[in-house]
Amino acid sequence: MKQYFTRKLFIYILTFFIAVTIDWLIPRFMPGNPVQVLLARASLHAEAAKEMYSYYTKAFGLDLPLWKQYLSFWNAIFHGDLGTSILLFPQPVIKIIMRAIPYDIFLLLPSILLSWFAGNKFGAFAARTKWLDNTVLPIGYILTATPYMWLAILLGWVLAMVFPIFPLAYASSPAIIHSFSWIFIADYLWHWILPFSSLFLVMFGGWAIGMRNMIIYELEADYSHYLEALGAPRKLVRRYAFRNAILPQVTGLALQLGIIMAGALVTEVVFSYPGIGYLILGAIQNQDFFLIQGCFLFIIIEVLIANFLIDVLYIIIDPRIRIGMGGKSA
Amino acid sequence: MTKPKKRINEFLYFALKNKRLRVGLSVVLFFLILAFVGPLLTDYKWDDYVGPAYHPPSYEYWFGTTTFGQDVFTQFILGLKASFLVGIIGGGIGTLIGVLVGFTAGYHGGMIDEFLNMLTNIVIVIPTLAILLIISVYLKVRGVLIESIFIGFTAWPWAARAIRAQTFSLRSRDFVDLARISGMKPLKIMFTEIAPNMMSYLLMTFILQFGGAILIAATLDFIGLGPTNAISLGLMMNLAVLWGALPLGMWWWFIPPGAAIAAIVGALYLTNVGLDEVFNPKLRKL
Amino acid sequence: MFKKIILLVLLIVFLFSGMAFAQVYERSETLYTSGTQWGPPSSWNPYNTGGYAMGTFGLCYESLFLYDPLTNEYIPWLAESGEWISSKVYELKIRKDVKWNDGTMFTAKDVKFTFDIAKTAAIGLSPIWNFLGSVDKVDDYTVQLKFNDPLYQELGWYIYNNPIIPEHIWASKSTKDVTSGIGENPVGTGAYMFEASDQSKMVWKKNPNWWANSALGLDPKPKYIIDLVNSSNNVALGQVIMGQYDLNNNFLPGIASIVDGGYGISTYFPGPPYMIAGNTAWLLLNLTKKPMDDVAFRQAVAHAIDVDQIVNVVYGKIVSKADPSGLLPIWDQYIDKELVDQLGFSYNPEKAKAILAGAGYKDVDSDGFVEAPDGSKIALSVVVPFGWSDWMESIKVVSRGCQAVGINLTPEYPDYPQYLDSKLNATFDMMICNDQQMSSTPWTYYDWMFQNPIADIATMQNGNYSRYDNEEAFALADELDKVKVGDIEGMKAVISKLEKIELTDLPLIPLWYNGMWSQTSNAVWTNWPSSAEDSNHYLAATWRGYWNMTGILMLCDLEPAK
Repeated sequence: MKQYFTRKLFIYILTFFIAVTIDWLIPRFMPGNPVQVLLARASLHAEAAKEMYSYYTKAFGLDLPLWKQYLSFWNAIFHGDLGTSILLFPQPVIKIIMRAIPYDIFLLLPSILLSWFAGNKFGAFAARTKWLDNTVLPIGYILTATPYMWLAILLGWVLAMVFPIFPLAYASSPAIIHSFSWIFIADYLWHWILPFSSLFLVMFGGWAIGMRNMIIYELEADYSHYLEALGAPRKLVRRYAFRNAILPQVTGLALQLGIIMAGALVTEVVFSYPGIGYLILGAIQNQDFFLIQGCFLFIIIEVLIANFLIDVLYIIIDPRIRIGMGGKSA
Repeated sequence: MTKPKKRINEFLYFALKNKRLRVGLSVVLFFLILAFVGPLLTDYKWDDYVGPAYHPPSYEYWFGTTTFGQDVFTQFILGLKASFLVGIIGGGIGTLIGVLVGFTAGYHGGMIDEFLNMLTNIVIVIPTLAILLIISVYLKVRGVLIESIFIGFTAWPWAARAIRAQTFSLRSRDFVDLARISGMKPLKIMFTEIAPNMMSYLLMTFILQFGGAILIAATLDFIGLGPTNAISLGLMMNLAVLWGALPLGMWWWFIPPGAAIAAIVGALYLTNVGLDEVFNPKLRKL
Repeated sequence: MFKKIILLVLLIVFLFSGMAFAQVYERSETLYTSGTQWGPPSSWNPYNTGGYAMGTFGLCYESLFLYDPLTNEYIPWLAESGEWISSKVYELKIRKDVKWNDGTMFTAKDVKFTFDIAKTAAIGLSPIWNFLGSVDKVDDYTVQLKFNDPLYQELGWYIYNNPIIPEHIWASKSTKDVTSGIGENPVGTGAYMFEASDQSKMVWKKNPNWWANSALGLDPKPKYIIDLVNSSNNVALGQVIMGQYDLNNNFLPGIASIVDGGYGISTYFPGPPYMIAGNTAWLLLNLTKKPMDDVAFRQAVAHAIDVDQIVNVVYGKIVSKADPSGLLPIWDQYIDKELVDQLGFSYNPEKAKAILAGAGYKDVDSDGFVEAPDGSKIALSVVVPFGWSDWMESIKVVSRGCQAVGINLTPEYPDYPQYLDSKLNATFDMMICNDQQMSSTPWTYYDWMFQNPIADIATMQNGNYSRYDNEEAFALADELDKVKVGDIEGMKAVISKLEKIELTDLPLIPLWYNGMWSQTSNAVWTNWPSSAEDSNHYLAATWRGYWNMTGILMLCDLEPAK
């Protein structure tokens, strides 16, 4: 067990290191100068601009040699300082990201978890009977084949423009300041439904299909036939099949995270939902080095943590791994 | 050797009988033909100003016109071709790399496997968007080819994992052991003993990569990181949203592209299920 | 078991997003605006000229004068009057009984401080010290500006474009804080005060002790002004259609059809061009590269572009074709019509071809495109920032026009930072640019067009990206600056000479006037400005720099809808 975890930890740390380095490198090699962009937007008078140029370059540490910038970046991370945003100058990056995170979490967590559970349940049902299989299967395939942004556009068009039931954009109504009251929560949910639904539906399709396929495989495995031959009730066989089928679904969850992030990004774009994905787009279009770095850093950390949690979960669920810990795999 | 040939015949028989395979393939084929025959049906270029703006579908403009009076049908047809190209090339590259990595990892195991596994993990975690950014910025003009290459180089981990798992289970089979004992070189074993047994798997992996590539391309196009010199289905949706098609109710501009993608990718997945049933006799009864 | 975990997780997530107390703003006393703020409000420092929260300067901080561009008049604001008491001394009489919104009295001390601080901190006002000698406080309500070299037009621009800040708050700020501090809890003299802000909006609350209530009888009716962050023009379009905004200043695709479509949305003009022209969109040609350095080539390009197509198809008629001089309609009186008739360009592909042929451009290799007189191939690109959809569409028209007369020009769409980089470092071939907004004087246009010295263009970021080197033009621009404000004839004389240079040499080609995009809804508030006789003719704009060009007066004229 310990060996397994140390090895995993080592890999995660290595991955983190490489990913963070790439994260730092990337904005640096984009042509163009962020200070110029900042000044252009400030539309200052000529002489003022000249002075501000050297001031900002120093302030952002852009005049230091690259390796120094790299080291100070690592240093800053451990202090929780992700620099100052250029797009939203002079707000600190960490503050900007912190404001966007709750929206993302509230959008992604429920949609991922609920779609996973519901999808797996439905997938399992579908493997049961032929008629269910013939309805759930095509629906599932269509859903998972649907591009996220198209479903978002469709939902937006039908449920916000043709039948104006839900709002088309933003996370809350302008008349309400963020708070803890029922009014705000209700309003928030009302704005949340469409983005949530578009993410949920596509992912649901994917899990349902996956689960259905897994269950069928399991039901055709030798042990299933053996149990049936022994006269075990169908329900028992299904339960075992389910437990075995769940395993690849758990790892599948880890693999899907990257794709889900991209899906969340386009959904946020369509609905102007102020999450991190949306922030990234703005940062990219305005070459805000520090904001890009900060956002990607958060995504990397989120994905790594999620992967780690899933690994732990997997060990809990799959007894073979626990047993196999002592020795080596076949 | 008669064995492979007989197996192929057997597969073909079941393939033709399988409803899912038939339906899936026909849908894909339909769109494929449309993509290549379509340009003959239209004289326009995708960004020509051909008629009145904001026009709903009519006899003259089958899919209506855009905010500038461009023909949506032309955009749709040309976009289909671009999407297919990206799917095939991107999916192809992804499958190739995934197969190479997965094979090697699965066959050799041990340190090589560990290393390749780590590589796979890293590629999955790294924000591909960031990398695409740099590339897109250095290339003034991005084409469909570049996009496909990029997609291929970032989507392979999924294929690698699947192939690796399959290789693992195959390599411990008897006939492989036989080949090893008889002194065959590992590379030769991979290609002559294991590969033919994985043919079906490879085909299905490719189909999945194909579908995945189309979806990824649509996403990239939608946020504006796609080809700059051509129209694609994702780009159509991007333009539609950008130019206010939603509030202005121009459904004919954003519904067809997304519907086509959903249909093609869905059909591909369906084909995959069908193929699975064909290759795996255990599944055939359901 | 799993269900309970999910519930727990959801609950925790809920707690995440809670903060202060709820507040619902009454619709009938709130004005919703949008179109200025592209990201969450992040700064209330009026010296953060490109990024302060909408209304910081204009609603909260105010200026000495207002300027009305449609009537070319200055309106005394925080200054009661401004006079040249001698050829080099400008005396300002400061308004009495004005309070900062924290209760302190506003006096000449604050005005002097505002000018003095520009000496130590690099802010927008700083360049005035190049020709200003000293600022003297004569008494509590009189300030004298003593100039070494009075540049009248430039001063005329500063007096309405510069926020007056409170000495008792800003004196203790470090220079860094002054230029780039966040500036929370802004203390100003204006009609509104900071109320709240979050990720998606900025809320201003009416200042009950605003000086203009009694002094000028002005009383803005909206109790709250809520400016919403916008993320994209198409989302704004949806919001406008659904009546979410009272005043919107986004560029909205298809707005013409919305206005005619019975949604209760109106613009300044009921028909084309719908919007007041706010700035000129120029085609910049890089004079440091061949063949852009050949005036004949530039003339050919100018005659090859079908601007009407841009106006009608790309913009759906919400912009208008630019006068060949490039000057905005508000400066119509300065345009030398005879000169324009004589030397001005228009869409004439045949003439373009003739000009090219006459200058020695021939298609030697028969590929449909001309080569330079020395035989070298011509392959040029015109750039606009990626994502600026209307410009992207427009340069397609530009390049099509050029290709039709034999000039190999292709449109390209680099990302904004690259576009900016090529602009500043003169690596572009051609590009579209519309930096200069409407102002109190055409001098700002010419100063921008003929900015010098050429060597400093990259760092100054203030114009002449074409790198046009003409000493006569530079001198004339400076001469224009020295003409007194109000001396129309004097200005016309100098401007006419500048126009001649521009029309003959065409260092940059004016294409169309971008509108001061402004859409208003009559659902909750009425009496918006319009071109109709019985309406007021103020500017309905929340853009930075527009509140003090009568935007605030527009606000005071609004009436609740019945």
